[in-house]
Amino acid sequence: MSVRAYRPLGIAVLLVGGAIGVRATKPAQHSQAPASSQVTYNRNIAPIVYRSCAMCHRPGEAGPFNLLSYSDVKKHARQIAEVTQSRAMPPWLPAPQEATFADELRLSEQEIKLIQKWVEEGEAEGAASDLPRAPQFVEGWQLGQPDMILRAAKPFTLPAQGTDTYWNFVFRVPINDTQWVRAVEIRPGDKRYVHHANIMVDRAGAARKREAEPGAGFGGMEIRIESQVFDPDSHLLFWKPGTVPSVEPEGMALRLDRGTDLILNTHMQPSGKPEVIQPSIGLYFTPRSATKFPMLLQLENDARLDIPPGDKNFLVTDDFTLPVDVDLMAIYPHAHYLGKDLQAYATLPDGKKAMLIHIPQWNLNWQAVYRYAKPLRLPQGTTISMRYTYDNSAENPMNPNHPPVQVVGGNRSSDEMCHLWLQVLPVNFDRAQGDPRMVLQEALARHNIEKNPGDFEAHYNLAAMLQARNDLEAAIPEYEAAVRLRSDDAAANNGLGAALLAAGHADQAAPYLQEALKARPDYFDAHYNLGFALAQQNDYQGAAEQFESALQVQPKDANAEANLGAALAEMGKFPEAKAHFERALQIDPNQPIARDNLDAVNKAIQEQ
Amino acid sequence: MRVFRLLAGVVLLVALGRGWAQQTGFDLDGRAVDPLAASSGKVIVLIFVRRDCPVSGRYAPAIQRISKEYADRAVFWLVYPDKNDSPEAIRAHLVEFGYHLPALRDPAHELVKLGHVQITPEVAVFRNRQLTYDGRIDDWYVTLSRARPAPTTHELEDAIRAVAEGKAVARNEVRGVGCYISDLE
Repeated sequence: MSVRAYRPLGIAVLLVGGAIGVRATKPAQHSQAPASSQVTYNRNIAPIVYRSCAMCHRPGEAGPFNLLSYSDVKKHARQIAEVTQSRAMPPWLPAPQEATFADELRLSEQEIKLIQKWVEEGEAEGAASDLPRAPQFVEGWQLGQPDMILRAAKPFTLPAQGTDTYWNFVFRVPINDTQWVRAVEIRPGDKRYVHHANIMVDRAGAARKREAEPGAGFGGMEIRIESQVFDPDSHLLFWKPGTVPSVEPEGMALRLDRGTDLILNTHMQPSGKPEVIQPSIGLYFTPRSATKFPMLLQLENDARLDIPPGDKNFLVTDDFTLPVDVDLMAIYPHAHYLGKDLQAYATLPDGKKAMLIHIPQWNLNWQAVYRYAKPLRLPQGTTISMRYTYDNSAENPMNPNHPPVQVVGGNRSSDEMCHLWLQVLPVNFDRAQGDPRMVLQEALARHNIEKNPGDFEAHYNLAAMLQARNDLEAAIPEYEAAVRLRSDDAAANNGLGAALLAAGHADQAAPYLQEALKARPDYFDAHYNLGFALAQQNDYQGAAEQFESALQVQPKDANAEANLGAALAEMGKFPEAKAHFERALQIDPNQPIARDNLDAVNKAIQEQ
Repeated sequence: MRVFRLLAGVVLLVALGRGWAQQTGFDLDGRAVDPLAASSGKVIVLIFVRRDCPVSGRYAPAIQRISKEYADRAVFWLVYPDKNDSPEAIRAHLVEFGYHLPALRDPAHELVKLGHVQITPEVAVFRNRQLTYDGRIDDWYVTLSRARPAPTTHELEDAIRAVAEGKAVARNEVRGVGCYISDLE
């Protein structure tokens, strides 16, 4: 019997390490001007602009104007002096720390002072011989022609005005066989209006159900994707202005199967005129399948988000202790418009504290995934701590409510969130102990239940993991807890029914499976499991009906055909049974029940 | 003959550059226009924008709403202070953003000086040639990287109403957030 209950952790998000910008020039020795000499564009400013501005401020990129030449820069000189001094530009939110990130986009104090001085002194151009070679940028796809280009089926028209807009494009991946992806390039449509975009891998076709018609896409800032098998999200596939796609580390290719959808979640800002946004995604394949399996860990505490109006410093925390050694590859902090100071740190088993990220002035518009320059080893027993503060006062200009109101956790942009994703690669584990990602997920689910006993998803996921490990005795009470929390949830009822069935309690299983079908009449798994439960109780007529219903949902399921045949055979309907066994074998020539039963039913027909 | 034509050209340039400079911009056909002249007693609003300023762009729907709502009391002009903006480029910009407002070029920044403005987008409000308000449209933007979901103050609309009713405008000008006009030559 196949129990098909598994639906682990819901939320997928994130990025392929977003390398930021093209490093066209080395940090210039030119920019070290003695205090006495005059600052000139050619000698002192161009190297800064080439390295830290030009990759976005050039045609076709996100910058609203070009910064490629003396006249370009002069035309915005005071503005540049102002936004570099306030560190609004280049956009880089994290404070300096020991564990550095790849492609940090932070100007040095010296560089900022040079720009100030240049503007004060009258923006001199300087000697042509001082001008460094202009940066060379790759046109078009940054990693060469992709192996597959997916284009959004329908463009989205961004209205001229209004608040930030969130839209999800569903890309169906037209592949027949599993492919391994070594790199993804996101082309978000018009880079000037898309603030960030990230790809979620939907292996269950969950998101496409939300489209009014295929390819139409759907709105929403946060989306949840359920999956049927233990296949935790592994990659952070993210785009923000200046992102240059990077190739995944050796052995960490992303698996794409037939039927997998890629969901591009985009954050856009109106420009003052309607804009047509039609993103595309370039996929680069590799023949080499993955040998290393990173996963995304999520710390969160949305249940604690209940922020009184006027509160300027509302703290939310979460602390999770690692059950295995990991290498931390990348980090992605996420809050909405009330987020103020976001930090995460690790306390190592020896008590040493390591800052993982600190964003002293959160700005949703510039959220990003940050990849570490070098993976950070965090041994088993390390506690990862999330400390986020929120400003729900009128002094926070980004506050979506004026005057402020009570704000709770949720998916709408006017709700809040406190999420911290970490891409980790388990290391130093013993294969015999099982999949270390499973160990991590189980620890996380137990942690979430401890933190919030009303966390339906945590109970459900823990149950599903225990069930996958065949620890039914432990799985059943977790499923029961999930069903108590959401008595009408189809998956939880099916899971409980399936676990009871597997534990030999067919009579107890049936009511939950029926409940699952009440919630979702076209639920293949529940029909299949109920059919099995009824057959166990010798109700073959009832069982046959359930397998027939299952086959209406998934007509090409060999197991359901074989079981339908078996139920009919039990009722003595041998010719009908034979037809179903034969169909099962047409679908899957190796279906074992059908093969054995076909022999038996042929013998029975002969004997009649 | 050729010599004569050349001289005429020079004379024309001088005329445009100097003789007509006071309080005038140029319409998109190159004619000098004094926006403060033909107001028949209405409030005059000059709105300064730059084609390469994203904040200017994002304000287009608000500018259009305000200009429609106050059309009975005020005359609105868009002013482009970048001397490198050709009339063709400005026409294209107007079409792109769906503007139905007259536009002026202000290559020598005469109107900028007259209106005391520094940033795009900012506005200058006049009545009977007197500057009565200059500064931001509203408080939507706080810094270049932080905007409110919607403005909570409406300085331009308040000024138009006050001037139209003959009341004094509170001269508590707050500068706009956007792009410095002085960065343009």
